Amino acid sequence: MTTTAVSTPIIPKRSGRAGPLKLLFRNQLAAFGLIMLLLILLLVLITPWLPLPDPDATALSKRLLPIFSEGHWLGTDQLGRDMLSRILWGTRVSLAVGITATLVAASIGSLIGLLAGYFGGYLDGTLMRGIDMLMAFPYILLALAIVAVLGPGLMNALYAIAIVNIPFFARNVRGVVVTLRNREFVDAARLSGKGDVRILVSEILPNVMPVIVITMSTTVGWMILETAGLSFLGLGAQPPQADLGSILGEGRRLIINAPHVATIPGLVIFILVMSINLLGDGVRDALDPRLKAGALHRPAARTKAMPEAKAAVVGQQKGLLEVRALRTEFHVGHEIHQAVNSPSFHIEPGECLGIIGESGSGKSVTAMSLLGLVASPPGVIMAGQVIYKNENLAGVSDERLRQLRGGELAYIFQDPLSTLHPLFTVGDQLVEAMRAHQRLSYRDAWQKAVQLLEQVRIPNAKERAKVYPHQLSGGMRQRVSIAMALANEPQLIIADEPTTALDVTVQAQILRLLNQLRREQNASLMFITHDFGVVAEMCDRVAVMYAGELVEIGPVKELLENPAHPYTRRLIACVPDVTKVQPQLTEIPGLPPQVNNLPVGCKFADRCDQVTDRCRQAPVELEALTDERQARCIFAREVL
Amino acid sequence: MKRTVQTLLIALTALLGSSLWAQTPPNVLVVGQIAEPQSLDPHAVTAVNDFRILVNIYDGLVRYEDGTLNVEPSLAESWEISDDGIHYTFNLRQGVSFHDGSPFNAEAVVFNFERMLNEDHPYHDTGPFPLAFYFGEVASVEALSEYQVRFTLSEPFAPFLSNLAYPTGLIISPEAVREHGQDVGRNPSGTGAYQFEEWRANARVVVSRNSDYWDGAPELEAVVFRPITDANTRVAEMLSGGIDMMVEVPPDNVATFADAGDFQLYEQAGPHLWFLILNLKEAPFDDKRVRQAVNYAIDKEALVNDVLQGTATVATGPTPPAFGWAYNEDLEPYPYNPDRARELLAEAGAEGAEITFYVTEGGSGMLDPISMGTAIQADLAAVGLRVRIETYEWNTFLGLVNPGLEGKADMAQMAWMTNDPDTLPFLALRTEAWPEQGGFNSGYYSNTTVDDLLNRARTSTDQDERAALYREMQEIVYDDAPWAFIANWQQNAVATDRVQNFRLQPSFLLLLHDVSKQ
Amino acid sequence: MNSSIWPYIGKRLLLMFPVLLGLTVIVFFIMALIPGDPALAILGAFATPENVAQLNTQLGLDKTIVEQYFTWLGNVLQGDFGRSYRQNRAVLDIVTERFNATLILAGTALVLCSIFGILVGIISAIRQYGWTDKILTFVVLIGISTPAFWLGLLLIMLFAVQLRWLPASGMYAVYGGGDLLDLIRHLILPASTLAFIATGVIARLTRASMLEVLRQDYIRTARAKGLSEHRVVYRHAFKAALVSIVPVIGIQAGFVLGGAVYIETVFQWPGIGSMLVNAISTRDLLLVQGGVLFVAAAYVVFNLIADVVQVLLDPRVTS
Repeated sequence: MTTTAVSTPIIPKRSGRAGPLKLLFRNQLAAFGLIMLLLILLLVLITPWLPLPDPDATALSKRLLPIFSEGHWLGTDQLGRDMLSRILWGTRVSLAVGITATLVAASIGSLIGLLAGYFGGYLDGTLMRGIDMLMAFPYILLALAIVAVLGPGLMNALYAIAIVNIPFFARNVRGVVVTLRNREFVDAARLSGKGDVRILVSEILPNVMPVIVITMSTTVGWMILETAGLSFLGLGAQPPQADLGSILGEGRRLIINAPHVATIPGLVIFILVMSINLLGDGVRDALDPRLKAGALHRPAARTKAMPEAKAAVVGQQKGLLEVRALRTEFHVGHEIHQAVNSPSFHIEPGECLGIIGESGSGKSVTAMSLLGLVASPPGVIMAGQVIYKNENLAGVSDERLRQLRGGELAYIFQDPLSTLHPLFTVGDQLVEAMRAHQRLSYRDAWQKAVQLLEQVRIPNAKERAKVYPHQLSGGMRQRVSIAMALANEPQLIIADEPTTALDVTVQAQILRLLNQLRREQNASLMFITHDFGVVAEMCDRVAVMYAGELVEIGPVKELLENPAHPYTRRLIACVPDVTKVQPQLTEIPGLPPQVNNLPVGCKFADRCDQVTDRCRQAPVELEALTDERQARCIFAREVL
Repeated sequence: MKRTVQTLLIALTALLGSSLWAQTPPNVLVVGQIAEPQSLDPHAVTAVNDFRILVNIYDGLVRYEDGTLNVEPSLAESWEISDDGIHYTFNLRQGVSFHDGSPFNAEAVVFNFERMLNEDHPYHDTGPFPLAFYFGEVASVEALSEYQVRFTLSEPFAPFLSNLAYPTGLIISPEAVREHGQDVGRNPSGTGAYQFEEWRANARVVVSRNSDYWDGAPELEAVVFRPITDANTRVAEMLSGGIDMMVEVPPDNVATFADAGDFQLYEQAGPHLWFLILNLKEAPFDDKRVRQAVNYAIDKEALVNDVLQGTATVATGPTPPAFGWAYNEDLEPYPYNPDRARELLAEAGAEGAEITFYVTEGGSGMLDPISMGTAIQADLAAVGLRVRIETYEWNTFLGLVNPGLEGKADMAQMAWMTNDPDTLPFLALRTEAWPEQGGFNSGYYSNTTVDDLLNRARTSTDQDERAALYREMQEIVYDDAPWAFIANWQQNAVATDRVQNFRLQPSFLLLLHDVSKQ
Repeated sequence: MNSSIWPYIGKRLLLMFPVLLGLTVIVFFIMALIPGDPALAILGAFATPENVAQLNTQLGLDKTIVEQYFTWLGNVLQGDFGRSYRQNRAVLDIVTERFNATLILAGTALVLCSIFGILVGIISAIRQYGWTDKILTFVVLIGISTPAFWLGLLLIMLFAVQLRWLPASGMYAVYGGGDLLDLIRHLILPASTLAFIATGVIARLTRASMLEVLRQDYIRTARAKGLSEHRVVYRHAFKAALVSIVPVIGIQAGFVLGGAVYIETVFQWPGIGSMLVNAISTRDLLLVQGGVLFVAAAYVVFNLIADVVQVLLDPRVTS
């Protein structure tokens, strides 16, 4: 997954994202749950000091008073005891039992999970079979049997509930530990001579804590319900002490003629557990590592565009597709990352335009922005236009955009393993691509799919069409991606680092194939890469991007011979040249600037060996050097 | 799409619109039972719940007269008792056959009792027969002729006839036992007013009219017994028209039905006693004053009127008033007198004593044990006794209480329903009935006078003499207070007003022979 | 169909046996620890220590627990599950009869909660943080937060007693009836109660899985191909999400089987859960043993089915 950093914008890990607590509060339901829970906790904590009657004092003559009776707000129960007082004291007991049982189950379950996951082998097998047995035993019956063995009483009910819930912790924790067991930091700790116990405590435990917390947050409520269930069956609290479950259990016989005695404890259990669950759900959202990566939001079908970016096209369009001052930003929390800073360029019919830059230079985001494929949120197209056939693509209807995507404008992505759907056969995915744009029967489409696979030189295409992506090699998979892009005879293919994930020999084959096929179909190619060598081989013109800006653009040959921008020069220097003996591969020192904190002047200034004070004072404009060349450097003309 | 919606609507109407179905079918009585029967073999079961079905399928040699606990002829038309009270000779009704077609005769009677009592009988292994001890005094049973049978007892045993009228004395078809062996309990065949049709587990037991019944065919076409263990659900079914009749109405729902209008409520006192066993072996209840203090401290009026909503009356002593002839009218229940209780406790030096109290969650005749236990706990706390409750599910509870309370608890709830004034004191108050000797005297009460009175009463054949002995016994036990006497249950039932000619019996049995439904 | 699936199923079935065997040992052991004994339960209030001892000998309960276990195991291997002490009936008859009822109830509930859970989860994911999502989340959490028995009681009060739309309890009409329509009428309340309670977990999980899947690269590919959003969500994203939802449905099967105990009690459903509660309290060892074995086997089989479905969905698992 390390390669995805290239195709998706790098979102700073800490600075932009809100902390878990903040995230929690952004989720209104979770905040509501938290407030409810705090209120209940407060009420329960001050119960001993509230002016309430003794919860156990019976008064048979005053039994079953309805709610709002004088002196008894919530009425009285079948023995004339004050309901309000019993409910509050009962809630204390229920909460204490639920929380304690959760802690007991979490400790034992996590320990089992840690040991099974870390040591694996025989121990793992034995422990997990035991856990399987516990899980296969219907949980209420198990709890019943345990209480039957231990005798009635709240503590025993607590043990029963705890035992029954051990498997959830054990399984969840084990699952995580197994993935951690062979990670680098654990190996490192082992090499440094740390014992197993120390590794478990200091290296592994901190990493499984979120899972334990998530599991706890989802089980507390469940535990309270279960304790109530056991008490309901008469196996929990012993009279006169009561938890919510036993109040409900005793009261349910009266549900027809004195409904309040059963309804109120039921409602309180519901409110209590509901607030815990709302909170727990929020905690899960905030802590779940899977959701974390996505900054909690699902991407929309197309990138959000501001009205300014949707404006109608003015004037004549240049070439096949023209980009005018495109500005794409990522809005993460309160921070703004300016990923694409108003580059303008166009691509001619049949032309191959290279877009080159380091990771984070905005080249991929630019490519994705063309057809609204930038994940949104957090991506927003702020301004600028993408013009195709005199239409601004940010402003067209969803249906028009859908027709263009994969139709006249096709994409090839970087890592074919993650970009092909793992659960559909490659033939199926090709068929789907065709049928989204052409009226074809499934059978005809399948035949065409096989032809396409043959076209991209996949041997034994008929059989290969039936396999799943994971059964193909990387090179084969990328051929499938190319076939998919060619499926609907596109005008323009946008290839986003299509060979980065492949090894060098395969790379060359794929590039040759791509170039050949697009020439046969007379399609334009927008080729995004970080490798000037590839650009030299493939492209007619090249655009160099740095920190979201276009820093130089022009015919490949001219740029190679005489680069006008220091960054271009550096990129060219990075290409290993087999004809020259080089002592070492040159790398560009330093890192690109943070896109959420861009300098005023030349963005490259910090890494440039020719930098002067003037460079940093004011924004540097893109300057036309010849008809075809532009560069963004105050020394550009001097170089020429 | 439109059609799917239409189909759905039609289906929905079919499902909901037929709410008339909720009405039970005409001329079929649906009875809500408190549990599924354990078996329909009359000799294998102990629960009143099962008896309620059995007495409608089977007959015994004798039966209780309508509305009393007196014995009258049934399958036996008459009988003679020898003067020494040892020989009972029964003349059987002729021309009666079992539902399976086999004839009822002396052989069948002999088979029934031999199966239960003789360990060498080929069908003794179709047991166990837990209540066989009701006939423990029977030494032999012989067929004198096709329709005459003689029981010989090992000693005179006054309750014998009454025990024969008890469901354990019902007569099952020997053919059915031979055919089904251990499974006869699910394929019952008797001579009763209704014959067995179907038993669907936890759903229903159906019996249908026996047109050839010797005492006249019943009016009802069939009776369906539905087990509904949850009291609420039972009440809900009754209110929603899913059943015609239910027994053991929870006290708090009695008023619901009385108010609802379409229902008829039935009540009947029976020989039931709800009491607390006190552990006489250990302090503090080894002191009579403390035991009496407990009897004074508990507000029994409040218990029966408030907790039990008038479905019970305050108990006086060990014999329920339903045994009219043996009941001692001169005794008055211990009054509610906490001051007196405190005095007695002070005299005995038992103030602030800690007491472990076994409470059950429910069980045969236990009424509302947890609420009652909690209320008693509060009453005792008011006179300074610190009571700690331990609740147990019924079977565990019995497992703890029956072997004796020594070393475990000071006090335990208990209730008995019996058919003869002999049974309860004989099994639970004699010295020889201490648990280690196989009795139910779990509190270790021992009074030689009481032992003697009980032994004499049981072997006497003269009812007046027996009555005098029982009355004397009650006075002594009342004063010794080995138990806290709490309540005598008024059993109840509710039926829709379509049900006619129904009445509850003091025997707690549910006789449906004469019942009809409009 | 993937031909490599059969050895996988075979392996899983083999693994089932040690689990079930271990379970029977645990059940025997726990039951032996429970105070009180079956003889007492049979004899009821009239159990004297003498009678109890006699009956124990008769039932073979005077032997050691180990001996009893191996006798039982030997018999089971020959297809004889013994007789219930209390009901004096073959365990297998009782269990199969009850088990069918539970399967109908739990099966229906499982289907309902899967359908609704998945639907709600998808809608929640699509409308993430919108009002629809919030309302659905809230409703679904109500299910997880409500005591099952309480909800059941309230539903009976409303639909059976007040409105008289549906029967309050039981599985078939008391007399006559017995057809499918009758069964469905009786099934509606208990099955929906059970399903409502189990829906939450599936819905939340579906939502999380959908959200995770929707940011995968292959979803972007699907969009770049020009697929309609509907197809992207319901075909591409849903199929991928289903891979992680299916095993949880398997685990929910255990939850539903367990939760059926309360529901069966409240709705008087003649299922195995309520029978087992009874059997435990009456110490009916062989009946408990047989019943638990069936329920556990059902759970294991449900899980096996879930795993097989997962394998069928995701070709990557076996290779």
